[in-house]
Amino acid sequence: MSITNETLQQHLKDPAIFCCRREKGLVISAADLEDPGLFDDMVEAGLLTLSPDGLRIEQVLGSTLLTDVEALTPITRDVLDKVNETEEAPKAAPAETKAPKSAAAPKVKTTVGGNGMIHIEIDKADKIEGLRLDVPVGAVNGTVCAEGVPAEAGVAAVAQPTGEKKVIRTLLKKHIKITDVEIGNETSLKNGKLTIDKKLTDKAVLEDALCKSLELDVIYPDKRHIYTETIMDVCPIATKVEGELGEGVTKVLDGVVFMLTGVDEDGVQVHEFGSSEGYLDEKMYFGHPGCADENDIIIRCHAVIERLTGMTRPGPFAAHKCQDYIIQAIREVLKNYEGEVVREEVCEDVRRAGNPRVVLVKEIMGQGAMHDNVICPTEPCGILGGQKNVDCGNVPIMLTPNQVRDGSIHALTCIGPATKEMTRHYIREPLVEGLAADTELDLIGVVCVGSPQVNDEKLWVSERLGFLLESLDIDGCIITTEGFGNNHIDFVQHIGQAGKRDIPVVGVSFCAYQGQLVVGNKYATAMVEENMDKGGFENNVAGCSCVTKEVAARAIQMLKNKMAGVEIKPAEKKWNNDVINANNKLLGLPETVLLDNGTLH
Amino acid sequence: MSELYRFPLKQCIGKPSVAVVKCGDSVKRGELIAAQPEDGLGANIFSSVSGKVESVNEEEIGILPDEKQSADFVKLKKRKPLELIKEAGLVGLGGAGFPTYAKFSKPFEKEGTVVINAAECEPILSHNIERIEKHPEQLLRGLEIAMEVSGAKDGVIAIKEYHTEAINALKKILGNYKNMRIVPLMDMYPMGEERAIIREVFGEVLPVTALPLEANAIVINAETACRIQEAIDLKKPLIDKDMTVGGKIKGNLQDKLIQIFMDVPLGTPVETMFERAGGVNPDCGELIMGGPFTGKRTTMQDVVVKTTGGLIAAECFPKGPEKIGLLVCACGANKERMQQLAESLGSKVVGVECCKQAKEVKGSLKCENPGRCPGQVQKVMALKKAGAQAVLIGNCTDCSNTVMSCAPKMGLPVYHCTDGALRAVNHKIVRAIKK
Repeated sequence: MSITNETLQQHLKDPAIFCCRREKGLVISAADLEDPGLFDDMVEAGLLTLSPDGLRIEQVLGSTLLTDVEALTPITRDVLDKVNETEEAPKAAPAETKAPKSAAAPKVKTTVGGNGMIHIEIDKADKIEGLRLDVPVGAVNGTVCAEGVPAEAGVAAVAQPTGEKKVIRTLLKKHIKITDVEIGNETSLKNGKLTIDKKLTDKAVLEDALCKSLELDVIYPDKRHIYTETIMDVCPIATKVEGELGEGVTKVLDGVVFMLTGVDEDGVQVHEFGSSEGYLDEKMYFGHPGCADENDIIIRCHAVIERLTGMTRPGPFAAHKCQDYIIQAIREVLKNYEGEVVREEVCEDVRRAGNPRVVLVKEIMGQGAMHDNVICPTEPCGILGGQKNVDCGNVPIMLTPNQVRDGSIHALTCIGPATKEMTRHYIREPLVEGLAADTELDLIGVVCVGSPQVNDEKLWVSERLGFLLESLDIDGCIITTEGFGNNHIDFVQHIGQAGKRDIPVVGVSFCAYQGQLVVGNKYATAMVEENMDKGGFENNVAGCSCVTKEVAARAIQMLKNKMAGVEIKPAEKKWNNDVINANNKLLGLPETVLLDNGTLH
Repeated sequence: MSELYRFPLKQCIGKPSVAVVKCGDSVKRGELIAAQPEDGLGANIFSSVSGKVESVNEEEIGILPDEKQSADFVKLKKRKPLELIKEAGLVGLGGAGFPTYAKFSKPFEKEGTVVINAAECEPILSHNIERIEKHPEQLLRGLEIAMEVSGAKDGVIAIKEYHTEAINALKKILGNYKNMRIVPLMDMYPMGEERAIIREVFGEVLPVTALPLEANAIVINAETACRIQEAIDLKKPLIDKDMTVGGKIKGNLQDKLIQIFMDVPLGTPVETMFERAGGVNPDCGELIMGGPFTGKRTTMQDVVVKTTGGLIAAECFPKGPEKIGLLVCACGANKERMQQLAESLGSKVVGVECCKQAKEVKGSLKCENPGRCPGQVQKVMALKKAGAQAVLIGNCTDCSNTVMSCAPKMGLPVYHCTDGALRAVNHKIVRAIKK
């Protein structure tokens, strides 16, 4: 019903709507206006249509009605004798309206006001990424970002970047070019050509009794319109030649990756219920961190595992283990291969004391069956020597950025391939790269925390994470998750654990339409969307909706803004990619183009 | 006190009571004025005021109260608990009005449970929880008596989990009673539906035709339990009722929009109650007796009866579409009430659909699995096909959520039977579920 003067004061900038029919001659006061707190639901129900011509509450108070107006109708200029001119009456639509569909008119508003604040508003999708920044002028140490200014300029630098770089350990990744792959009679590397001994599969299959057969074939980039069983993983070929994981020298083969596929003896997909079998060119988002790149040669390793073990923990793991036997044979050859090094990547674990201390928390799958990860194997992206995070009770495990970049995580991903991070994702995780390279931050480490099945265990794990974050004395963190739904429960709990300790926190996830958050708390205010599917669905295209460079850039910027103490505007009700693109534009990032996979309803 | 107190002869399920006073009689507060019919279900009715009988007809008894009133009352005469429950004229005070003695007429043969329904499920209504917070001992003593009368082994208090203050008040003294426990309920409508309670407590969904007895349980409303305590321990007949009064109250102050009145004498005119709350805004839409979901339209001239739990002055009706479709549900407004609301919206009803979980039992609808939506797309599509330009629904939280996921996408705005009441107190309207 009508609102009190107190409520009115909080809603001066909100749309003015009559709660009841009002007649000509009325002088408008609080008693005539509907409570703006109810508008969202009313709009959604179709009972109220907000109009860009509708006036705000502050504009109509004391005005006289010139004609009768129905309940729940926006009050416009033409029905009033006068309109109060207010300070910053922007012509733009009020924040509550839906963002325009056209990407040409993103809803970004940048005003340098007389109140000593730079005001930036960015609207974003459902429970995801809503920004309203009021950055105090003068407190900003850096360039102020207006539309189109490259991300490096920064919206708000967080603190005086006094942080002097201190290198703790260095990792050299030597990228060696591979131009051809063949299944032959020996395993060798010669002049950029990788040959794999076809007899290897016979031995590899003996590694685990649950693996019934193993088959290798080579798929060239121009021959990808080929049927494939469900994609279980994409795994790079890399080996240590000096030092432990995270330091020394690692050799990585460029231009080639392993792709593990699998079915059980009855032909049931290992990822039945959310599997990605189909034509390979339609079932992988080539170029995304977890996937094969455009010009990669793919070595397909197809495993058949024991009947009915596809949804158990040991079954899929057997396939990974047997594939690793083959990759290990290649690693042994690679150790002594002095091929053409096309790129030397120097990775450093550094401390930048004086800069804001941040950690990246990566929630990884930990629910058994196919939802697991091998942490810290002996070889990069390997299996042997590692521990499964499910066996570790899914407790948070701290890795250094270099360890992650050196293949410390072998992913045993599962159903929902578009939103899961495969092994290749971690060795080149954009958030790890972005945070480690950022000279304004001090990246303390990367926390991997499993996502258990049971709610009680989720809470227990989340509490452990909370105390870990507390003890690290950090100034901010980014929390990512893979998948959606069940894991969103712990994801939001993690955000709460950081939030209640006053640690600024940014959440990164696929949500969009299908993965709308089922839970929330008051700290989940700075959220970044990973979706790249047109309908906002898990589209079964492997690696489609994961952390990309653009997602990472937006997340890092949002963390800086949050640490700078600027207000973040509540997210819009519904996921809308235009708003994501408005953010991209603000940071000078390329547009997020959605994949049309027939999911748009 | 100068206005007439009126006591309708039909205030519960069963037959009307039979007047035992005549015009000109002087009656005292607590004195029997209409007796339970000898040949069937029904309940005694007592005067809640001391005064003079002004009128007696087939519908009601009118009593003009004396200038001076006291809280004292004429005591009940029986001795045994079940007899006192019957004599006191107790009926289910949650709104259904089933005579309480009838529920207890047959003791459990073995291991039964008495469940106190303290869900207070209707939005806005909050007098049950208020009484529990203030007098937890009264509720537990009432439960103790009910267990004794029915031969029940266990007692359960089913209450929404967010009422932490009431739960803590109960927990503090729960140890003084035997075999009682608290079962927390989710905050959803219709958790307080009798079979929903049974499901939450015992994990068993009863068929729509079953009474709680089939689960070896008796379910009674929280206030009923408290009034049982009064009937047994104080020998007090049912003459006073707790209620929530709210809505478009004059002065427009948020903290006056919902007010609780304890021990309101039965027969008090509705107008008097709204005046006690501060008066109603002139531009209100309708007056509701009961809760937003299942309440009925009332007038200022009506009076407080045994089953009155709420009096709400609703927001005025917006202008609805020309043609509207009704989606009737067992848990909310019935078809007649929905038709009344459609008329007030200025809309013509072009189609009526019934939720597929709603089954007709003895002339009213019951939901097969309350609060667990069976899907509504088909029904909404049927209404669109019938020419509806919008839908008016009365569904529970979960089903409303489902309707919201389809109707607006089909271009059908969604009206809900609770809108007027909830908007009047600036509460969130029942639509999509948001956590």
